[in-house]
Amino acid sequence: MGVALLLTGAAVTGLRGQAPTTFVVESPTMTTGRFMPRDYSPDGRNLSPPLTWSGLPAGTRQVAVISQDFGAGRPPPWVHWIIYNIPGDAGGLPEGIPFDPDHPMPAEIAGAVQGNNGWGLPAYRGPAPPLGSVHNYHFAVFALDEALDLPPGLDRGELLLAIEGHVIGQGDMVPLYERQPMNQFPR
Amino acid sequence: MTTQLRGTDVVIVGMGAAGGVAALPLAEAGLNVVGLEAGTWLDQRDFAPDEIRNNYRDWPMLVKKTEQERPTSRATSATRANQIGGHPMMNAVGGTTLHYWAQSWRLNPWDFRVMTETTQRYGASRIPRGSTVEDWPFGYDELEPFYDRVEREIGISGQAGNVRGRISSRGNRFEGPRERDFPMPPLRWTGFHDRMADAARSLGWNPFPGPAAVNSQAYQNRPGCGYHGFCNKGGCPINAKNATHITTIPRAVDTGNLKVVTRAHVTTLEVDSNGRVTGVNYVVGSNEYFQPARVVLLASYTYENVRMLLLSNSRAYPDGLSNNQGQVGRHYFSHHQGAGVSAFFPYDLNSWYGLPAQGVAVDDFADDNFDHTDLDFIGGGNLWVMSDRRPISAANMGTYGQSRNWGSTWKRFIHEHSDRTHGSYIQKTTLPYEDNYLDLDPEVTDPLGLPVIRITGQFKDNERAIAGFMQDKMEDWYREAGAIEVNRGGLGNTMGASTHAYGGTRMGDNPETNVVDRWGFSHEAPNLGVLGASVMGTSGARNPTLTSQALSWRTAAHLVESWGDIAE
Amino acid sequence: MTDSKGRLPAISRRDLLRTAGAAGAAALVPDAVTAATEETTSTAAAGERQLGTALPSETGPLPTRALANLTARETEILSAMVDRLIPSDELGPGALDAGVLRFIDRVLSESGTNAADAYRSGLAALDTYSRYTRGSPFIDLSTVDQDSVLIDVQIGAATGAGVGFVGGSGSFFNMVKSHTWQGMFGDPEYGGNVNFVGWDLLDYPGVRLGVSPEDQRALEADQLEPVRRSAYDYGIFE
Repeated sequence: MGVALLLTGAAVTGLRGQAPTTFVVESPTMTTGRFMPRDYSPDGRNLSPPLTWSGLPAGTRQVAVISQDFGAGRPPPWVHWIIYNIPGDAGGLPEGIPFDPDHPMPAEIAGAVQGNNGWGLPAYRGPAPPLGSVHNYHFAVFALDEALDLPPGLDRGELLLAIEGHVIGQGDMVPLYERQPMNQFPR
Repeated sequence: MTTQLRGTDVVIVGMGAAGGVAALPLAEAGLNVVGLEAGTWLDQRDFAPDEIRNNYRDWPMLVKKTEQERPTSRATSATRANQIGGHPMMNAVGGTTLHYWAQSWRLNPWDFRVMTETTQRYGASRIPRGSTVEDWPFGYDELEPFYDRVEREIGISGQAGNVRGRISSRGNRFEGPRERDFPMPPLRWTGFHDRMADAARSLGWNPFPGPAAVNSQAYQNRPGCGYHGFCNKGGCPINAKNATHITTIPRAVDTGNLKVVTRAHVTTLEVDSNGRVTGVNYVVGSNEYFQPARVVLLASYTYENVRMLLLSNSRAYPDGLSNNQGQVGRHYFSHHQGAGVSAFFPYDLNSWYGLPAQGVAVDDFADDNFDHTDLDFIGGGNLWVMSDRRPISAANMGTYGQSRNWGSTWKRFIHEHSDRTHGSYIQKTTLPYEDNYLDLDPEVTDPLGLPVIRITGQFKDNERAIAGFMQDKMEDWYREAGAIEVNRGGLGNTMGASTHAYGGTRMGDNPETNVVDRWGFSHEAPNLGVLGASVMGTSGARNPTLTSQALSWRTAAHLVESWGDIAE
Repeated sequence: MTDSKGRLPAISRRDLLRTAGAAGAAALVPDAVTAATEETTSTAAAGERQLGTALPSETGPLPTRALANLTARETEILSAMVDRLIPSDELGPGALDAGVLRFIDRVLSESGTNAADAYRSGLAALDTYSRYTRGSPFIDLSTVDQDSVLIDVQIGAATGAGVGFVGGSGSFFNMVKSHTWQGMFGDPEYGGNVNFVGWDLLDYPGVRLGVSPEDQRALEADQLEPVRRSAYDYGIFE
């Protein structure tokens, strides 16, 4: 896991061609290599998960996040979530970012906007892998040296192109998910 | 128990676009004609401006027979064919002309001589690999008088661009020379058309109003178009759309020499031991009939024309009528009309009223109207901008990433933007190829147990290259007119059943590669004629209907002149 | 009970349907209509066969009638779903006010068993999915959670053994959406677009048999008065 996988299919260079520094990305409810809670998937409430990051390089002005599955999509990756224009000092994303543009962003990430995921929705939509398969979900976080203030609704390709040359730091985490048959859920 | 009917001079199978035209010169010449039509007579009372019925319940096209004979289709012979969802043709007296878009073009001279023109200008190697294209057995000039005649009989409105060599920039400067102007001026333009025409001129192009089989003013005791907005897959409630059931067919009936039989489902054609057709079998409900005729003209649209030939086996024609050379079904193609481009504007287009035939056309990139030396394709496309919008489809428009397509945010979006999208129509040169063809499906049958048509066809590199090129042009055009977002469709792959289906009974001098001769009569069964786009060997960048009607008139006129020879 | 914007909805449909016992059930049937129901409590059954008194509509949505082709519970769920697809809001009436449920009921009457079965199994699956994943029946969820559920149904993610969407949740969603759009924006002849509220939302200038050049110019100057007639009001069509 890490930078190499993040960069699959996309050339993302940092400032003056230097390799970006890496930083830590974590979550109060998820861990790399472990199954994420079902409330971050359509098997549950399908809320966007909370993320925290630290150690971003000095000069970070804005942050962008892509959640993607390199084991799905033709061609991969299948994109679950794109969110950017996150203030550089935000420190993370709270749980349950609204999927409806009528509902405002939480104050701590005021100004953030969502891009179009693989379903064409400007929202988080969680893992729905085929029953019986385990998939990895890369949450890739990019630290940018400029407040690009990009328009909403960009897809992954457009976002990566727009942040080209501005990435001074990258971090990620990769929890897993496997679907359970519905009738196993206790209700 | 088959009822043997009294013989007639000519049987026409299908009273649609092509059959409905041929009936008139035959009847006027005094020949007895029986027109067999699987559908019924419809009239203005059947054509309410009702979007649900016309566009969501497919009413005009859900007439029984075509629905039950839906072709199967597949990209190549390596895969299995699946039956298509709906069949784009209608059974009625007047056929699909009752509800079609009524764009009514002549082909350009280049379309008749693609092989020669391409070879001379660019070299033989520029003919796409695998294409079986041939020059037509005659050129545009030969067909011109028939275009002229049919334009007047049907009633075509438009603006000439080339009258006897004199070019007018108000019309299409690239068209073949016409003897005279259209019988009616063109349909009017909306403010959006004007804006698009201005944008085209800014790009150095030559926009013009397109020709339509729709009255722009009173003509032949029928009113001018009402522009009511329900013309797209809808019949005309005021008889301003010039379908054959209100033009050529009733005039033929009035001669006393045309008898139209409705609900007549023709199944097979009979031949004698000399290989001449003797008549057709048809059913009305559960009653079976044989209609003897001295000459049979097939005019049941491309798929059924081919199908009826393949189903009519006999000792003289063991592989299907007129198919001893194996050419029936060959050189088929579905016109490349897809790979559309749509756009989102920051202003209202005022497109709620209008019709698909009311349009701004650009032919600068059609045919060989531009230099292909450094390009990787031959031919081109016609760019077309129409005024056409109805409520449900407007509410189904894409949201260009601004909202999901339901809910409160969507409701605000649609309230603001319902009249701000546009979709263009781009018809492109499509050629016949060795591995695109029609045959009978080995598994799927209709309720009578007869196999349906199987389409094996794929758009090739040439068509896809044209499609990409034309998308670039259309995007340029939209953006010049102020569009803020532009979307493109895919370039096209499998040829499904099409509203513009060509070939299968191709017309040409060479009997080894064509089914009918230069007059439209079978090379093998001399008293069998074929009418419709199934005889056309190239498409050009425009709709086939007027050309198929001009060819029909020409075939009928030849039959009249050569009656003794053909009918024996 | 305020919504996410802090507004009090005019009598919400949910409230209407859940008003206790017979009174609530009676509100389902403002006219003397025999509703075909299978799944009713005894009090509700009694209520549905009474001549109900229609609740005053105030500024809110019309009272729901149980559909001929769906049970009361199925109608409730469908009603809640349709209400989210095109809600009633400050911009104007939504799908329920437009009579989309009546439109759908007619479609089901005309289409036969396959369409009705598709609705029944889909609505049951929608409710199962809501309960399993969001913890409550669909009609009890907040509007935000209902929207979240419907998004997942739309994109085909509402799968999982035991939920019960036949042929995928996306095809059920698309069927209901397609009917809702036709019912909202189609000719009122079919039972929807009541009072032409759908055409008003789009600013559609209306069905005319002839649009003169003056009409077109007026349209382009934003001065054309809308015509509010069904195609069939013209009296010449069959």
